[in-house]
Amino acid sequence: MADTVTITLTNRDNATYQVSPRRPLLETLREQGVDLPWGCEYGGCITCAAKLTEGEVDQRAQVALNNRQINNGYVILCVARPEGDCTLEVGVESHDTLYRNPFLDPLADHELKADIATPKDAAR
Amino acid sequence: MTDCCGPGYASPAEAMKAPAEKLLYTIAIYTGTGIQKPDYLCTIDADPESETYSKVISRLEMPGIGDELHHMGWNACSSCFDDSSMARKYLIVPGVRSTNLHIVDCAADPRNPTLFKVISGKEIKSKTNLSAPHTVHCLGSEIIISMLGDANGNAPGGYLHLNKDFEIVGRWENSMGDIKFGYDFWYQPRHNVMVSSEWAAPNTFMPGFDLEEVGHLKYGREIHFWDFEKKEPKQTMYLGEDGLIPLEVRFHHNPDSSHGFVGAALSANIIHWWKDDAGEWQWEKIIDVENEPHPEWPIPVPGVISVILLSMDDRFLYFCNWLHGDIRQYDISDPHNPVLTGQVWMGGLLGRAPEVNGVQVTGGPQMIQLSLDGKRLYVTTSLFSTWDNQFYPEIRTNGGCMLMVNCDTEKGGMEIDPDFVVDFGKEPNGPSRCHETRYPGGDCTSDIWV
Repeated sequence: MADTVTITLTNRDNATYQVSPRRPLLETLREQGVDLPWGCEYGGCITCAAKLTEGEVDQRAQVALNNRQINNGYVILCVARPEGDCTLEVGVESHDTLYRNPFLDPLADHELKADIATPKDAAR
Repeated sequence: MTDCCGPGYASPAEAMKAPAEKLLYTIAIYTGTGIQKPDYLCTIDADPESETYSKVISRLEMPGIGDELHHMGWNACSSCFDDSSMARKYLIVPGVRSTNLHIVDCAADPRNPTLFKVISGKEIKSKTNLSAPHTVHCLGSEIIISMLGDANGNAPGGYLHLNKDFEIVGRWENSMGDIKFGYDFWYQPRHNVMVSSEWAAPNTFMPGFDLEEVGHLKYGREIHFWDFEKKEPKQTMYLGEDGLIPLEVRFHHNPDSSHGFVGAALSANIIHWWKDDAGEWQWEKIIDVENEPHPEWPIPVPGVISVILLSMDDRFLYFCNWLHGDIRQYDISDPHNPVLTGQVWMGGLLGRAPEVNGVQVTGGPQMIQLSLDGKRLYVTTSLFSTWDNQFYPEIRTNGGCMLMVNCDTEKGGMEIDPDFVVDFGKEPNGPSRCHETRYPGGDCTSDIWV
């Protein structure tokens, strides 16, 4: 594993940061002065959600996102560790498809949270 | 109130004679708004004779960002009226996301509260394996707080016990029994009972509301009757479809009464319970708010009863339909047969009152607090940052607001006061969202008589 990876923040003038892949992005970006929202710091409350547009992260510890939000690219920065160079849109500006009116826009069975979702094939 | 005694009042009837509130303490949040500032406690001038009436006169910022201040409570209430060593001096102001508890001194200078102490969320999690603080009640000189999750945000959580010096004693309860979720609670010691309600696990409700998760039993539909002295649940009432997401719990203020109420938010019902002549607890649905059609919705809009409140004389029940946009007043002199006596509209999704007192109301009527004499009801519009963002996304730019409703305590009836409005869209650091309110002299959700 590389000692550092490069994180690009598209809605922060494409600023780049060198961070450790072993620690959560919220910590390593905040240490370098990036102003980011956060709440619970254990992956449960969604306040720090950001949109990943390139690259991969390990966010197995998150429990906040449903599968639709994951498919829309959202990652939970307080637990997500980069697995290589990543490009992100951060902050509330990135939350355009994070929130939805649950009555107007229901989730399909496979879009629920991982612990209750039915795989798409099985639902057919 | 005489000099010999402790905080609060000898009885609900005495409380009703107290001087009118001149200050309000109200929570305002930036968590989830995109403004990178701490949440704060506002002091609002409620004295109609004052030049700064209906304005925020001071703001106490919390030390950290992202707490999501939500509900709060006093260190002492009428439950220690006989203890002259106690005083209603400190507000305990929890952060539901951070688990930090902020102890705020409101007595040294009531117009400018100051931070007295912080109990960090990390300490609470490590000592008690609890997170997500919600309801604060004092209990004689001690304090208990419902905690909605374990340290990892899983249900059911439990109850945090603090001593009067705000030190962690540990877990209050001896057992959570088969309780699946926590939320609000209220106790009535003369019946040796506490009743608790159910929201969901923090990991479920904090990221926002997925309706489908209700069907997957991720949200509550039961209330629990505790043996208060043994500190363990004794009986569970399964409310089913009539009681989806039972939130705010209120017993009669009369300490001899066994009657109490809970608002089922998603079912939009009021559930009433009481102890029958045989000593058995019974429950019934007494109010059912019909879902309302909406031009753009495929299904009718549920009311979503986010709060209920009883007047100090136990005559009137108030509640809000956060999605519809109305506040209702029912005469519950006969608690089995409530009579609708008043209704006002502000905000909401049905478009009945988009603007009130010159302010665009974003959100709907949400937290309410009633004066001790029952005549002034203060209302705020934000529910919870992530849920606000789902149902009322414009609140990000408009902020919340506070209004006041004049209540007729003789014949019943409500009217929005034309001279009182606090527009949190115009706060100095940008639009914030206002939530729960408490008064320095006690109010209709703080005081319990033992």
